[in-house]
Amino acid sequence: MKEIVILSGKGGVGKSSLTAALAHLLTEKGTRLTLADTDVDAPNLHIVLGANFDRSRAVAASDKAIIDYEKCSRCMRCVDACAFSSIIGENEPIIISYSCEGCGVCALVCPEEAVSIHPVENGKINFVTSGAVRVVAGELGIGESSSGRLVDIVKREARQEASLNGSDLLLTDGPPGIGCPVIAALKGADYAILVSEPTPSALSDLQRIAEVVRGFGIPAGAVLNRSDMDPKSAGITQDWLVQNNIPLLGKIPYDPRLPQALARGALAVNMYPDAPSSLAIKELHKAVEGLLE
Amino acid sequence: MNKKLHPEIIKHFHSTTFTTPIIGVTGGKGGVGKSTIAVNLAAAFVAQGKKVALIDADVDAPNDSLLLGIPLENPEPVTIMQPVFDPEKCTDCQKCVKACQMNSLFRSQPKTITLLGECNGCEACYLVCPAEAIGRGSHSVGTLYTTKRGNLTLYTGALQPGLAESALLVNAVRKTAFADADLFDIILVDTAPGTHCNVIGALKGADHVLAVTEPTPLGAHDLELILSLLDMFAVQTSVVINRSDLPGQKAKTEKTGRAGSTPVAAEIKQNKDLLAGYLQGRPVVNLFPNSSTAKIFLGLADRLAAAYPDWKKQARQEQL
Repeated sequence: MKEIVILSGKGGVGKSSLTAALAHLLTEKGTRLTLADTDVDAPNLHIVLGANFDRSRAVAASDKAIIDYEKCSRCMRCVDACAFSSIIGENEPIIISYSCEGCGVCALVCPEEAVSIHPVENGKINFVTSGAVRVVAGELGIGESSSGRLVDIVKREARQEASLNGSDLLLTDGPPGIGCPVIAALKGADYAILVSEPTPSALSDLQRIAEVVRGFGIPAGAVLNRSDMDPKSAGITQDWLVQNNIPLLGKIPYDPRLPQALARGALAVNMYPDAPSSLAIKELHKAVEGLLE
Repeated sequence: MNKKLHPEIIKHFHSTTFTTPIIGVTGGKGGVGKSTIAVNLAAAFVAQGKKVALIDADVDAPNDSLLLGIPLENPEPVTIMQPVFDPEKCTDCQKCVKACQMNSLFRSQPKTITLLGECNGCEACYLVCPAEAIGRGSHSVGTLYTTKRGNLTLYTGALQPGLAESALLVNAVRKTAFADADLFDIILVDTAPGTHCNVIGALKGADHVLAVTEPTPLGAHDLELILSLLDMFAVQTSVVINRSDLPGQKAKTEKTGRAGSTPVAAEIKQNKDLLAGYLQGRPVVNLFPNSSTAKIFLGLADRLAAAYPDWKKQARQEQL
């Protein structure tokens, strides 16, 4: 089984829409695939797919410090020792759970052994179906930390799901950015598809994500979404790709049909199969099929 | 999953050591125009003669400097503690290996402890070592930039690609900017997308937050998440609807859930002026000061500035 991850550095360039459209086309042409939604902060692949929730399971993606106030002598040593400023309080120490890294330093310095580190349930794994496409999606509790570890869990579950249903491909919709969840989404991938758009900001973010991908030694290709938005920026981005040996897998023109279909909970490739963006995504689909050989 | 927060945590979130108002720009979802709104709002405040600090807290993808067309200046490394092992002093007790919750320490052969995995600088290993065999080294996780242009100062952090310490960098950028707070009339904070600890960290101390969204099902979904988060921390919020003329679900965005009870501060239609500004790296407020879009930002800046005394009043009431 091949693993392909879709990333962008920048949010909002169309990762989820592209993932959903590709998944649909690949499935239609006989590829068996499983999708992983690793944007655990804002998982919305299921919305783009118009999918149904099957089941959900709570997961503990973090270890957090917990204080036993019966034992606590209010010496406040833990407050001073925390490198992440995650313990506050004037009269007694209070753990700021969302920024606690579970490193255990507070427990080490506590003379009363009043602090312990426990795993806490702070996320969910959602299993979703859209036609023949199975989606394993992570959902971090609002305001929680440790998205990287939740992404690790999502990928593990998705691999299990993929092997159970005999998938040829595990396609991962990655989170925006270049931080820990992105690194977790990327680990173990055979190929990365980097989505960008022709703007200076998107190029900057593309360069940063390309550096991360290169660091992991994972081969990558690029897709230019809304490619006709600005010819000058499109030229600069394409030149940069050539200089850095990143093949351009496809260009998708801006198409109002995409948001129109999305607003109806449908895919433009289904609803408007002859629209310019749909034709371009079909071309891209061939390139992706080529990657699977 | 929405836990009730301890009142002390909410109080801590709102406490600052200065009175300069802080306006956050966030939105849950990526690509809805947070940075566009933030830089144009900053330009609008500057146009009105105010001294403005703009904090770009999206350290994974810092783009405000590109949108403002100002190259970053004054780089400063942001470092964290990283253990340095002295094999001469090490007694091979392996307490450090046990203490490391990240499982980053490895003992390959007697008396040789090495750092193999990621280190978040928590110092647990340093604390437990009975032989003082661990020293405090430092490790760079990114760069902080302070760039001044007239009445606007941009504070940006850039995470080193391949590293995971976004939160540390966000804190470092915020601390640097806050140390200068008294120099400014207003502080704007542009956050990363999402609803995780980095976003809260970036918004700490915000008097008012603009939640930027677009009228699509994805926009509505992510807006609900970020509004829930802001509600947990009792942050005063209003919504900015970007690309408000997208074929979609504006009515739904405005009516459902928390979005339905949150005031709309501004609506911005898709337009060529905004795109031109975005591509050229100049805020519309400067590029086309008489355009209808520039007027929206100038009007928003006026209303926010006028509302500031009310925010402070409300914050005081909440603390009583």
